[in-house]
Amino acid sequence: MAHADTTHAPPAHPPAHEEETTTGINHRKLLMWVFLGSDCLFFGSLIATYMVYRGQSIVGPYPRDIIDVPITTVSTFVLLMSSFAMVMGVAAARNGNQKRLIQWLWLTIVLGSIFIGFQVYEFNLFRVEGLRYETNLFSSTFFTLTGFHGAHVTLGIFWLICLAIVAARNPAGRPSHLDVDIAGLYWHFVDIVWIVIFTLLYLIGGFDGPPEAGHAAVQGWNWVTGLIS
Amino acid sequence: MSTNPGQEAAMAHDEHAAHEEHAAHEDAGISRFFFGHVPEGVHGGLKQYGLLAIFLAIITLIEFLIIVPEGLQGSGVVIAPLVILSVIKFFCVVAFFMHLKFEHELLWQIFVAGLALGLVVALSLVLLFGVFRPTPRAFSEPRQVPFEHHVEDHHEAVARPLPDELPPPADPADLAPAAPAGATAAGASPGQTLFVGTAACASCHTIQGVAQGVLGPPLDGIASAAANRISGYSAEEYIRESIVEPDAYTAGTADGLSQDYQQGLMSATMAGIVLSDEDVEALVEYLLQLR
Repeated sequence: MAHADTTHAPPAHPPAHEEETTTGINHRKLLMWVFLGSDCLFFGSLIATYMVYRGQSIVGPYPRDIIDVPITTVSTFVLLMSSFAMVMGVAAARNGNQKRLIQWLWLTIVLGSIFIGFQVYEFNLFRVEGLRYETNLFSSTFFTLTGFHGAHVTLGIFWLICLAIVAARNPAGRPSHLDVDIAGLYWHFVDIVWIVIFTLLYLIGGFDGPPEAGHAAVQGWNWVTGLIS
Repeated sequence: MSTNPGQEAAMAHDEHAAHEEHAAHEDAGISRFFFGHVPEGVHGGLKQYGLLAIFLAIITLIEFLIIVPEGLQGSGVVIAPLVILSVIKFFCVVAFFMHLKFEHELLWQIFVAGLALGLVVALSLVLLFGVFRPTPRAFSEPRQVPFEHHVEDHHEAVARPLPDELPPPADPADLAPAAPAGATAAGASPGQTLFVGTAACASCHTIQGVAQGVLGPPLDGIASAAANRISGYSAEEYIRESIVEPDAYTAGTADGLSQDYQQGLMSATMAGIVLSDEDVEALVEYLLQLR
């Protein structure tokens, strides 16, 4: 990619990014991918914790009382579209089109903020309905997982705002294509984590009740253990 | 045109190079972008990314529609299609939005390694605590010592037999006298000792100054309340039945309590605990004092 960068960078591209590396991959980009690989482990553990305690809350509210799948489908769509805006921003940065870059960045920021708005609304609704962090196993694992995801999105929004401001102040080649590209990787990663969360916590786990109602899960596991033994 | 094969090849090569150079400033075609080999430096544009965004939105819509019928909500049937659809979404975003398809293979390896490790950790945790759960529970439940707040002599309350000193849980005769040794506070009745000790009542029930459980109904004033719960039952009969056969009657808001308590929960959590007749009588005697 370092090669592609040198070929297609805008004229005012700072030479600092043209460094040679032993792998041929820019160090910052490599670092971001290593970080994303490790973040898979982070979210993997949180998701596993949710799945381990799934359907074991012995006091309500249970997911089926409180999870709103239609609203979250809308917020999932919004986050997906923000990924589209982001990738268009990266494309604009690659083509050196600073004006388009700024527009796409702001669209991404707005869509990301709408997603966070949905999450704030959801968390607050849960609190009002009596589902606090310490209420039951469901609430603790749910808020930990989705809260950390929301924190990732929020950090991404701040990052993109910084890029948009830098781009607006420096029309000539700043931020570089690589700067935008790396922020985009982070943003898309947050999107794919949400794809997993949406499926497991909302579409599959959103109808869980107290332990005896989680029977489908128990049956599933019995089936798995039956296969193993 | 009469050119020799060598020249032709050279020209083809030049043309190819020129084409690549040209393509670098355009976008790749749609089918080549998604399925074919894309030379380095060629990228997608509005056409490709827009198409992918629509595709991903449609998958999200299908996922939603799958769980719209009430019969399918929470059913095991939908798990496989939902997981497959989200895996497709996941890898579309990784391959095209994160353009990993067009990157150095080392980046693929790094990401897939992290992803695989995360999956293995998640699967191991779920297997350990999901599938093999019954074994540790059966061992630990008879040995559990309820946590107590607000105990004045903290050290005395915390002192309790080491696991080695505990008799095997399977023998009910040995169970009862085991806990009192350390857990007894001075002046406590045998019933109270059982309550906070081996009978483990205190892990779910609240009695002011004695226990702070939250899962079962509070037992302050139970002696007075018990006399009125079921008509024809004396307080003593009601309390005894509630211990021996917890599911016969489950107290709730109808009895003036703040919430309904879950049917079957007590018999499930008490499954590993065996009480002798004397234990039950001691507990009944103790609870009858709570007026």
